[in-house]
Amino acid sequence: MKRIGRKNVARFFVYFALAAGAVVMVFPFFWMFSSAFKTSTEINKFPPQWLPGSLSLANFKIAFEKAPFARYFLNSVVVMASSVAVTAFTTILGAFAFSRLKFPGRDMLFSLLLSMMMIPFEMLVITNYSTIVDIGLWDKLPALILPFTSSIFYMYILRNFFQSVPDSLYYSARVDGAGNWRYLWKIMVPMARPSLVTIVLLNALASWNSFLWPMYVISSTDNRTLPWGLQVFTTEAGFNPELLMAASTVVVLPMIALFLFARKSIVRGVARGGLKG
Amino acid sequence: MRVTLDHLTKRFGDVVAVSDFSTELGHGELIALLGPSGCGKSTILNMLAGIVPATSGKILFDGEDATDMPPEKRGIGLVFQNYALYPHMTVLQNICFPLEVQRVPKAERLQRAEEIAKLVHVEGLLKRRPAELSGGQQQRVAIARALVKNPRLLLLDEPLSNLDARLRLEMREEIRRIQQRTGVTTIFVTHDQEEAMSISDRIVLMKAGALQQSGVPQALYHDPKNRFVADFLGNPPICNLPGVVRGGAFVLEDGSASVALPMFGGVAEGARVSLALRAESAFLDPDGPLACEVKSVYQMGKEEMAYLRFGTVEFRAYIDAENGLKAGDRVHIALKSRGVFVFDAETGARLR
Amino acid sequence: MKRQKWERDLTSHRRFSRVEPYLYVLPFALGILAFTLYPVVNVVFMSFKENYSHLTRGFTEWGVGNYELVLNDKKFVQAIGNTLNYVLLVVPISTSIAIVVAYLLNQKLRFSALFQTAYFLPMVTSVTAVGLAWRLMYNEKFGIINYLLSWFGIDPIGWLSKAQYSMAALVIFGVWNILPFTIILLLSGLQNIDPQHYVAARVDGAKSLRIFFRITVPLLLPTIFLVLIINTISSFKVFSELYPLFKGLPGPLYNLYTVVYYIRYAMVESRKYGIAAAAAIVLFLFIFAFTMVQLFVQRKWVNRR
Repeated sequence: MKRIGRKNVARFFVYFALAAGAVVMVFPFFWMFSSAFKTSTEINKFPPQWLPGSLSLANFKIAFEKAPFARYFLNSVVVMASSVAVTAFTTILGAFAFSRLKFPGRDMLFSLLLSMMMIPFEMLVITNYSTIVDIGLWDKLPALILPFTSSIFYMYILRNFFQSVPDSLYYSARVDGAGNWRYLWKIMVPMARPSLVTIVLLNALASWNSFLWPMYVISSTDNRTLPWGLQVFTTEAGFNPELLMAASTVVVLPMIALFLFARKSIVRGVARGGLKG
Repeated sequence: MRVTLDHLTKRFGDVVAVSDFSTELGHGELIALLGPSGCGKSTILNMLAGIVPATSGKILFDGEDATDMPPEKRGIGLVFQNYALYPHMTVLQNICFPLEVQRVPKAERLQRAEEIAKLVHVEGLLKRRPAELSGGQQQRVAIARALVKNPRLLLLDEPLSNLDARLRLEMREEIRRIQQRTGVTTIFVTHDQEEAMSISDRIVLMKAGALQQSGVPQALYHDPKNRFVADFLGNPPICNLPGVVRGGAFVLEDGSASVALPMFGGVAEGARVSLALRAESAFLDPDGPLACEVKSVYQMGKEEMAYLRFGTVEFRAYIDAENGLKAGDRVHIALKSRGVFVFDAETGARLR
Repeated sequence: MKRQKWERDLTSHRRFSRVEPYLYVLPFALGILAFTLYPVVNVVFMSFKENYSHLTRGFTEWGVGNYELVLNDKKFVQAIGNTLNYVLLVVPISTSIAIVVAYLLNQKLRFSALFQTAYFLPMVTSVTAVGLAWRLMYNEKFGIINYLLSWFGIDPIGWLSKAQYSMAALVIFGVWNILPFTIILLLSGLQNIDPQHYVAARVDGAKSLRIFFRITVPLLLPTIFLVLIINTISSFKVFSELYPLFKGLPGPLYNLYTVVYYIRYAMVESRKYGIAAAAAIVLFLFIFAFTMVQLFVQRKWVNRR
């Protein structure tokens, strides 16, 4: 009887510890959402008020008036969609070339690329910044897309998958008269859906949340994306943190929604990415 | 379509996979490309398909040089050992794929696909995905996909290897039936001599990249060119007795026994040979030239398989069960004219 | 036919097929060349151009002057110190917590989806946005954190206003941020441990704690090392975490000046690209050295057993 009791106690502690930790992890979000609905007086109360008095969207309206968040949102969406599309295109083509097609030096080149994955972006920023300026893309949205169209990491994931497709499928299709292009898009890509989904999701997350690069290359209000726009808003929000929290909520919600929708894929992709590191 | 291979050679680095291979295959035949593992038969198939470029030599389709033709222009259908069905497409889509590539209009596509599906008996599976099919069904779909474009040559790489024994027999017959219905020249690669013997119109036997013999199954069986061919075909395997020819008689190496037969006349004196006997070529005959002792007997219904000792060597013989042989019996064996061969001990070439 | 080392497969008499692979690689290659390869080479060269002026692209001479300036700069040394401080706090703390959490999450539990969602959430959200939320929580007068601490009789702490607490505030935030990724990796590593090890241990009579330390942790060691390396590398580059907490400033009294801040100021304020380049390369070398040391230690550790 004692043994059964001990096991249950242990289980209880596990649940309790995990729950406590989970609360800590989620708390900032709770605070953010709750504050987003508070009024100016509610938020400056001490002791702090846990929940807002009402769920009015007033703060959101004001925030959107004080700074062009709608515009920021649109920019973020456009940049994210374009980035995902272009990157997917180059990645698919590149992964195909490195897995299925043959050309001299292919494998050596690939090893070289893998070693280049290690290079930190902070080193590249300086030059990329001046390149963007030189091309005349400074303060324009394409500047946010261009430098990231070739991701060695994503290409590695996809190439791995492509390599697992048996040769016989390729030969079969070739014998039937299909060229490389048709084979790639009609056979390989549909089969690679899980890997592609992972890549798209990770890419979308990275693009939406990116802060450093937009900070460098975008200056005018109209072209800002959400994270940088949010940061800039702190001066305008001034003594109204509830507005700031409303804005933050808008930034954070889409990605949370995406996460809830595709948690397994995202987690799998991150794990894979780490293991490659 | 007539297929001609002319001094075809394939080298992978230093390894010679196919060497100086020449043969001609006729129209509308079911041809078995037979040989032990690694003998180069799949390589030849791949070269016929255009997947692997030849190192030297020529491939002719109906007299036309196809050696450097890309696979899609050759008009061939190819079925891989693992079927290579597109996993994300339905059976119907898989079969339609070659026609889609050729931009055949949709209505015609569907009609031809359904016709072929009926021929190979998969018409009820059209909406399924490959993962939902059994091995035999997948293979039928693969064959359908290869046939739907009316190829002039159908190539099958070890079509029966992935199937269980029972299915193998069934599909063997199916391949033959389909080939006869369509009349397409068909070449299939196999290492199973029984398979090749039972359904093919012609066997091309290979070893280590070189052609050993090409002909109708009966020709290879009853008239092998060399020892390898005789060894490879036939179940149970042929028995080889090593010895020397002296004075018109075959003498075992250690001299423990000898037999004089008219067939040895004309063989060079002192030639080292191998006397090969098929199990069905020996029969009991009190006047028979071979004096043997029965070592063991296995009952097989209407016949017995006897292991007979001749001198210091043993060979197998099918003996009528009525004789009721027992181990230790001393018998005399005569040989039929068929199923007895003499091979040169070194080269393996057939002498008699 | 000319023999080539790489065997072209499939017969084809079309010239196109020889060019074709390159066409497929082209989009990808362009991106890499322009935005990865060229910058790397450029930065290296730039770091050796003394008194480099980006406006004129002119410089006085080739030399290690930039490096000298950087390494002798008190600000840089301070930046390195601060950065190291941060790394040496965040990485061990987050790794230890993550090991425990990953272990707990690995038990067969109900609500595992719920737990996973909770623990992994910070990973998908913008650092800026959550940083602002944390800033609100850290508020000295109205912040919820100080309020909760007051329940334990602790006086309000000037998390973001007082220099001595600012590092702690940053570290806590940093750990919270990096935890999801770390947990995911460790969880994955745990799941790769063959459960038969546990069965064998139980059959031998071992209890949970012993199993944890004698079986789980050693088998998890490669993943732990991996996590340490990855997190060290990313922590060295700390910057985005600072921005929302301190309104873009490196700490209340510039006391959280980090290497990346140094690089940024060199680039944007003083426009001394040569210095920025040199600093960036020094940072990279630092990271590289740290990683090598960790790999070395890892190898020795593995060999010791």
